Amino acid sequence: MTAYIVRRLLATIPVMAIVGVFVFMLLHLTPGDPAAIIAGDNATEQNIAAIRTRLGLDRPLYEQFVTWAWNTLRGDLGISMFSNMSVTKLVLQRAEPTIALTITTLIVAITIAVSIGVLAAARAGTLVDRAVMGFAVMGFSVPVFVVGYLLVYLFAMKLRWLPVQGYVPIEQGLWPCLRNLILPSVALGLAYVALIARITRASMLEVLAEDYIRTANAKGVAPPGVLLRHALKNAAVPIVTVIGIGVALLISGVVITESVFNIPGVGRLVVDAIARRDYPIIQGVMIIFSGIYVLVNLAVDIVYTFLDPRIRY
Amino acid sequence: MSKITRRSLVKGALTAGAAAALPTGIAIHSGRASAQAARTVRMVPHGDLRVLDPIWTTANMSAYHGAMIYDTLFGYDGNLAPQPQMVGRHGISDDKKTYTFELRDGLKWHDGTDVTARDCVASLRRWAARDGAGQHMMKSVVDISAADAKTVKIALKEPYGLVYEALAKTSTPLCYMMQEKIAETDPNQQITKHVGSGPFKFVDGEYVPGSKVVYDRNPAYVPRAEPASGIAGGKRVMLDRVIWNIMPDAQTAAAALMSGEIEFFEVPPIDILGTLETARGVKLEVLNKLGNVGYCRLNHLHPPFNNVKARKAAQLAVNQEDFLRAAIGNAKYYQTCGSHFTCGSPMGVEDGSDFLKLPMAQRQAMARELLKESGYDGKPLVVLHATDIHVMNQAAQVIAQNLRQVGFQVTLASSDWGGVVTRRSNKNAPDQGGWNVFFTWGGGNATSSPINLFGHAANGQNAWFGWPENALHEQLRTEWAGAPTLEARRAVIARMNRNMIDYVHDIKTGQWVGPVAYRADRMKGMLAVPEVVPWWNVERV
Repeated sequence: MTAYIVRRLLATIPVMAIVGVFVFMLLHLTPGDPAAIIAGDNATEQNIAAIRTRLGLDRPLYEQFVTWAWNTLRGDLGISMFSNMSVTKLVLQRAEPTIALTITTLIVAITIAVSIGVLAAARAGTLVDRAVMGFAVMGFSVPVFVVGYLLVYLFAMKLRWLPVQGYVPIEQGLWPCLRNLILPSVALGLAYVALIARITRASMLEVLAEDYIRTANAKGVAPPGVLLRHALKNAAVPIVTVIGIGVALLISGVVITESVFNIPGVGRLVVDAIARRDYPIIQGVMIIFSGIYVLVNLAVDIVYTFLDPRIRY
Repeated sequence: MSKITRRSLVKGALTAGAAAALPTGIAIHSGRASAQAARTVRMVPHGDLRVLDPIWTTANMSAYHGAMIYDTLFGYDGNLAPQPQMVGRHGISDDKKTYTFELRDGLKWHDGTDVTARDCVASLRRWAARDGAGQHMMKSVVDISAADAKTVKIALKEPYGLVYEALAKTSTPLCYMMQEKIAETDPNQQITKHVGSGPFKFVDGEYVPGSKVVYDRNPAYVPRAEPASGIAGGKRVMLDRVIWNIMPDAQTAAAALMSGEIEFFEVPPIDILGTLETARGVKLEVLNKLGNVGYCRLNHLHPPFNNVKARKAAQLAVNQEDFLRAAIGNAKYYQTCGSHFTCGSPMGVEDGSDFLKLPMAQRQAMARELLKESGYDGKPLVVLHATDIHVMNQAAQVIAQNLRQVGFQVTLASSDWGGVVTRRSNKNAPDQGGWNVFFTWGGGNATSSPINLFGHAANGQNAWFGWPENALHEQLRTEWAGAPTLEARRAVIARMNRNMIDYVHDIKTGQWVGPVAYRADRMKGMLAVPEVVPWWNVERV
């Protein structure tokens, strides 16, 4: 197992390198000049040229790439062209809200999705099953921002139970922090609930048709025990796979949710950076995101071995 | 008698401890918090504060930041007249070639040191290296020096009529004063320390780019005795803290305002003004009365717009009303205008714009005739189209359609605004990465001055994007700068406006204002200032 993990970690290096080259080239070949944006609308061409020189954007592309790659290898993600702050500091400033939002969304989504997925499988073909699947289709179909606005309208503006927007750091209290995360987590988690619930249902139906389930029923094991101890554990591998895949979905969803609910997270940081061509931030965040994605996949593969003893690396 | 157990003892102690400590703690904490909250304003500005150096960039958000923490030697009052601000006594020599400014008493930097004339000299030099009006002024300047610790002298080689106006202007970059050691930073490099002498202090530790900017009251600030007016007069601070919440989503900002999570929303989109108008406690008010002026830049370097007849055809074709209806929508907030210098401003003359009063059908017929005479070969015009900014998105499509109606072939080159600002600087032919037309807008105040707005220059390759060239226009700009009185300036500007329409410097597409939305049940005292949102004079109610 250790050898497998080391091998997989080493395999991330070429993946990250390819991501690095791809992101760098894509950014620099896309139209857009950060110097012109920095200088502002009333700037002269001379001012823009001076800023371009100061930022090193007039140097050959290969030279810029080598400098950036070398600094990244040394752990230096660079300095924002606009705010003059280090990318690492900017990402760290924004990491807490994104991590908090991701965790609460995962908790909300997995709890609801697995429960209703199991319920739908146990009541297959009934009205409950159809209702759950109808909900799943709706969850997929309605965009995050529409759900977000509807939740804000109902729970923040009409009922005034929850705040419209913003993020309260966890150091200011668990409840104030959670209070601000409820609506974004539900909005972001809805599509995720739909995805996991459908897979849970399908996987559970397959397992419930197995002989050992029939045996468990014949032995007189109570229905909840059959469902949760015997069936769910054996149906878990595909569910965990989907949760892993869903993390990528979550990363893209976080960007929109952070905008709608005004959460100062990494998603918004990168969207703002793209709009103004702040290359160091975009490159740095992309490298971090791709690293996280690779690690999540590795974690999913490791979890398989706990869920299914037949899987060995 | 009940039995005392270890569990009940611990429970009792915790309860007693909590009872003793919590109410006091909560009372102290909530007392401080509510006192500060009562003197705090949370606002959503129009954009993000990306650059903290208001001299290095011409971005408006940086100018707003500057107005919070820096001060200016002079400032425009509410009537756009320059008034002394950091300066006490001041004068001009009889030959009008030496200006003397004496700093008023009690001016201190946020680190507690005195503001000196040397600081101001360094600041003036750095600002003049970056700003169009400053550069224009410096052509007449022999020397800027510190006569003593509190006196700044500007020596000119010839009289120059716009010294006060340049130093007082509210268009970016404003002439903010900084400490000497900071102002000595290369003008092409961003400053890294943010120590001003203005009414608020920047709270560096709470700055999160793209999310939050915090300013605390500067208790050492000494306001002038006069009432506040524009960016001049007594800047009395009645708030402890101003928080800028950067919100990319306008719907969220509007909801936050209505639910009381913020007090001020600078640029509510036109389509939700109706909702905000009826929201309890919310007031809409136009603070920037001169608003914005839209303009359509033509590329004078390449066909067809290197030919004045083609430019005139385009000028006749573009219908201000069409653009304003599509982009702004509500006639309460827009007006057509025949001036290149902002209708409603002291320079807002409309000489030469009679063609705007003709019926569109007649204008279009004239445009078709002129286009034929210009020898236009039917090559499609490249119109830069920024899709991510509502007004620009609408403008490009309307202008393209207006041009098609008189016989131009048009291709929209769509991208985000970042793509447009890059491509517009390309001087190549339109089919080699260049362009023919792009739309943008400027602040009405900046646009009202032929000197302050770089886009008003017509010095060919050195002019702003579009690179218009017209010797008479440049001569008139110089004449305007030297004109001794307002009346004399208006006389020059009338000739300038007529000439600009005659050679088609660019095409103005009308003016509009945008109301701010704020909680009138929580704050009062907003000052009407063009291009800056000041937070002095404002108090919580």
